[in-house]
Amino acid sequence: MIGRELGQRDGYRVVELYIGPQHPASGHMRLVVYLDGDIIVRVDPDIGYVHRTMEKLSEIREYVRVISLIERMTIIDSCNITLPFVEAVEKLLGIEAPPRAKYLRTILCEINRISSHLYGLGIGGIFLNHSTMFMWGFGDREVFVHLASLLTGARLTHTYNIFGGVRRDLPQGFKDEFLKAKRYMLRKLKDYDKMFFNNPVIRGRLENVGVLPKDKAIAYGITGPNLRASGVRYDARLLGYAAYSELDFEPVVGKYGDGLERVWVRLREIEMSLDLIEQALKQLPDGPIFHERYAKMVPPAMKKWFEKGRVKLPGGYVRLRPRKGEIFSRGEMGHGEVTYYLVSDGGMMPYRLRIVTPSARNAIMFSILPPGNTLMDLPAIYGSMDYFPPEADR
Amino acid sequence: MTNKEERDNHRPSINPVLAHLEAIATGIKWLTRKPMTLMYPDMEEKKPEYFRGFIIFNYNKCIGCSLCAQICPPRAIHMYRVPGDKRIRPGYDAGRCIHCGLCTDICPTDALDVSPVHDEVFEQIGSMDFDPVEWHIISKKLVEEHAKRKRKLVITRVDEEVGLRYEPVE
Ligand code: SF4
Ligand code: SF4
Repeated sequence: MIGRELGQRDGYRVVELYIGPQHPASGHMRLVVYLDGDIIVRVDPDIGYVHRTMEKLSEIREYVRVISLIERMTIIDSCNITLPFVEAVEKLLGIEAPPRAKYLRTILCEINRISSHLYGLGIGGIFLNHSTMFMWGFGDREVFVHLASLLTGARLTHTYNIFGGVRRDLPQGFKDEFLKAKRYMLRKLKDYDKMFFNNPVIRGRLENVGVLPKDKAIAYGITGPNLRASGVRYDARLLGYAAYSELDFEPVVGKYGDGLERVWVRLREIEMSLDLIEQALKQLPDGPIFHERYAKMVPPAMKKWFEKGRVKLPGGYVRLRPRKGEIFSRGEMGHGEVTYYLVSDGGMMPYRLRIVTPSARNAIMFSILPPGNTLMDLPAIYGSMDYFPPEADR
Repeated sequence: MTNKEERDNHRPSINPVLAHLEAIATGIKWLTRKPMTLMYPDMEEKKPEYFRGFIIFNYNKCIGCSLCAQICPPRAIHMYRVPGDKRIRPGYDAGRCIHCGLCTDICPTDALDVSPVHDEVFEQIGSMDFDPVEWHIISKKLVEEHAKRKRKLVITRVDEEVGLRYEPVE
């Protein structure tokens, strides 16, 4: 932290304080905070330290190679962030994933959402110096990372969704492992309430801190759990992509819009995701996991892998040419709604891929929430937002 | 799922003293449980099926189609000319590889495969870049060494009490 005196404003001395870009909890960003005494008068978020030109890089890569590139924006939530892109390209290719693949995508998306929320809660905990929440969040996340690695063979960067389906079938024994994890997590969430949500210290730090009223949340285009905590019933999953149209769920909507409410929405969404995975596993249809247009083209000697639950790709898969056109697609990530705008000129690489990530949209909260609160509240507000810098900077 | 009424009063007021005691009691409860930590260098996790570690290459199965080099997202695979071989063959830069496994999925002859080796240490960056023959040799060596490791092998299972537990594998 570096601070310097800025001068007078309305008769008070104002101090300018630099927080970051290396800061004690997570991420690489800088907050320029203007203080009057202990009261924040203005915050300028200075983002862009982890800008990796994802949009530009995707213009020089074949479509299938773009998938593993863009999942690096949010490696903790890699299935959710690639799914809308994959669905957009599928639409331009004129194919649709088989039902079983859609369910498997949904299952991995929800597993990713749980791990993303637990990550956010853990980081939120350490912002408030609540190391138990940090340890618990990251420890319990490991359970879901383990489930994801059973399903996909990788812990974080799964590259699971591909055009026309998914890459691995459900492994044996996954359902039992998941049901055990569900029972464990539901029980543990009660302890989360006791240890974190109803903890008087946390209540004191988060209650009525960083209140985001409903109208402001809508006006500034806030998204995800932060929006729902302000009482807006909006969740991109309601659009029914992947298998969501066939599952029964009701988004978690809060009403107070303060820091504690944002934590509450995340805790309840974990319950909801567990429920969604169970529903999806119950309704999981039989059938192929890869579109037959491509499965047909795989060399005959490699067809044996499909029976073993593993997809093999045909040689022409690198040179896919979606038809000329523009397409817009969206999906709900752990942090909020991600939108893709894809322009294809009929070539092997995207002509333009515009990505708007949830954290990029939520970054404005740094400017609108803290003014009026004390400096001590700044980490609490940051922690309750579940902001993920690499995702915002792209 | 929580129903609507429950959500409307989801934030009951708390008694500061009791809530503190409850938080401490919860902490003590978890103190007595086993930790879910994997004691890594002493124990080694048996990886799930198709775990994507170091990519292993079998020179003799390769037909030199170069599909793996085309699909590799970070261009970790390059095609080389090998003296005395008419076809071009893939070489591998382990430092660039992101272990996406796409090359093994597209290889039409199973010359490439995933392996559970994920913690091999190389002393120099240059020594991670293999030409086709070196790749074939190191693949064989790594798989053999991995099978011979003396560490205690455990398998990870979800546990209802503590989250994860590690069962020894015979
Ligand atoms: S696993 Fe992925 S990154 Fe590694 S060599 Fe294969 S295609 Fe390239
Ligand atoms: S895809 Fe397989 S057969 Fe083709 S060049 Fe690569 S390793 Fe050889």
